[in-house]
Amino acid sequence: MLLLICLGFSTMVLFCMAMEKHRQQVINSEVPQYLSNSFRPMAWLLLVITFYMSGDLYGWSIGPAVFFGALTAALLALILLLTYKAEVVPLLAIILPLAAISNFYL
Amino acid sequence: MKDNFRQSMKWLHTWVGLAVGWVLFFMFLTGTLGYFYQEITRWMEPERPLVAHHYSNEKLIDIAQNYYDKHGAGDIEWDIILPTVRDNNLRVGWREPRKEGEKRSRYKVKVIDIDTASKVQTRETQGGRLLYRMHYRLHYLSTSLSYWIVGFCTMLMLLALITGVVIHKKIFSDFFTFRAKKGLPGWLDIHNVLSVIALPFHFMITYSGLLFFLFTYMVLSTDLQTNEEQYKEMRKEIYPRAAHIKSIGEAQDMLPISTLYQQVKNTNTWKADELSYVSVSAQNDINAQVAFVRHETDITYNPQDTVVVNGITGEIITQAALEYTTAGMIHNGLFSLHEGQFAGTIARWLYFFTGLIGTAMIASGLVLWTTKRKPQQLKKPKGPDFGYRLVEQLNIGTLIGLPIAIAMYFYANRLLPLTMADRANWEAHVMFISWALLLVYPAFRPKTKAWSEQLNLATVVFIFMPILNALTTNKHLGITLSHGDWQYAGFDLTMLVIGLTFAFAGVKFKKAQRNKRSQRVNSKGRPLNINTAVESELVLNKENRGAL
Repeated sequence: MLLLICLGFSTMVLFCMAMEKHRQQVINSEVPQYLSNSFRPMAWLLLVITFYMSGDLYGWSIGPAVFFGALTAALLALILLLTYKAEVVPLLAIILPLAAISNFYL
Repeated sequence: MKDNFRQSMKWLHTWVGLAVGWVLFFMFLTGTLGYFYQEITRWMEPERPLVAHHYSNEKLIDIAQNYYDKHGAGDIEWDIILPTVRDNNLRVGWREPRKEGEKRSRYKVKVIDIDTASKVQTRETQGGRLLYRMHYRLHYLSTSLSYWIVGFCTMLMLLALITGVVIHKKIFSDFFTFRAKKGLPGWLDIHNVLSVIALPFHFMITYSGLLFFLFTYMVLSTDLQTNEEQYKEMRKEIYPRAAHIKSIGEAQDMLPISTLYQQVKNTNTWKADELSYVSVSAQNDINAQVAFVRHETDITYNPQDTVVVNGITGEIITQAALEYTTAGMIHNGLFSLHEGQFAGTIARWLYFFTGLIGTAMIASGLVLWTTKRKPQQLKKPKGPDFGYRLVEQLNIGTLIGLPIAIAMYFYANRLLPLTMADRANWEAHVMFISWALLLVYPAFRPKTKAWSEQLNLATVVFIFMPILNALTTNKHLGITLSHGDWQYAGFDLTMLVIGLTFAFAGVKFKKAQRNKRSQRVNSKGRPLNINTAVESELVLNKENRGAL
């Protein structure tokens, strides 16, 4: 479950970074064009992976329901962070899933 | 044309939301609490022992069976409800023989103290179940009237959701947009964010909520298309039930239930050992059957979650598995999604938070209505209209008043004398009396004062709750936490967090008021100072007209 929330968080950060106005909120420096163009496809890919993980962990009956719940939780956290503490967002987007995955497999 | 359409949808969204907003707030809040109704009941029955057992399921079943043999109602159907993460007490339940004047016999659950193997005498209370029942059954009103009111409001909620999506112009490009501004844009963003991030939940909960009383709301359709026979047949198809097992009257000793359980565990149909409850029919009869039911593993009610065995021989009876039609499975799925029975601890908290998001969405919508009209209303020479004042009063009395009233329900549970006649009902009366008082109160106070006073009151009552518990029971936070009884401690801690949230809101509110006042003081000497403030808000309003 925590894994799903963390993955969902990173997904949403990628979606958010794909938008010009939010990218400026999060990062001060310019992002190369090819990188910013890749954010959206990466986000979709991660979204699919998250969905697959939820189905795999909870079964295909409960999984999808849990998936949406996890996304809601991740979104709430992200939107609050964007408003009040935007600079930590990229860092969290990398650390959280890594921590969750290592916690999951160790 | 398109803008016209959007304009009319906006009108519809505003007035539909306003018309039933307070009832919806009540339904969402009590329904959200319903996700933890077992945990709330556990807190409201503090006589129950703290959890401290490492007994196997077999041992627990034995204890329950011994208890039933001594105190039970004979050879009827009875259940053993095993400790779960939600309710860590062992419970035994059965239908009491029907008393005169009762339509149906009452199902009563007894909590068993595992260490002494005897019943725990708990105080008379309706617990969390009452709160959870309120969200569809209301209170004080007749059942069918309640269902109709709730159904009407839910229908309008669905309408408000759809129109909300229509009028939200930039649902994707503003997906992450939340500007923490004061006044109208701030509230608009809060309302949008709360709606969008949990949109799947909002749709699911509203739509599936309507399905619960399908046959009440669609009565014309069912009446016209079916006769009584067909109707019964249809219900049977949608809600299949296992045949009721009757005793023939030939006594024969059953195998001990714990032995049966071991046999079931050894078969390959029983994968994960998450026994939830055991149901015994026709005990000690040649017809005896025992059903072992495990925690839900499928939202469409997996038939394999139940294993039925012959009580005498221990043979597994397979034909009892319920067959669902496709429509039935969809129906089950939507019910499960609504109730969240399948949810484990974290998923349950997610449900709770998402429910609170829904509650807050409704609250922010109601506040938005007054915020938008405030500048015009303040300009009026005779002061704000009656309608505007009424909405503001109901907002204060419900959005802050209802949580306080619910807290009063918990207070009543601790403070009413244990021997009081009709005690359980009085707990509810206390809740509704408090709510009524808090609804009337803002009429006699300036509105900003009323907001801040009720916020303060909410802060105090919620933060004081764990202290009240410590004063009135022998199970304060120190004991429950060190004991690892997280259901009990969790309640106290949650109340504390809610209290702190109200405190935070109160401080924020005061700060905002102080800022406004100091602005006004600073511009003293300029004769039109109030009007300029109003004007600036009007400008803001115009800027945001596109979005609203």
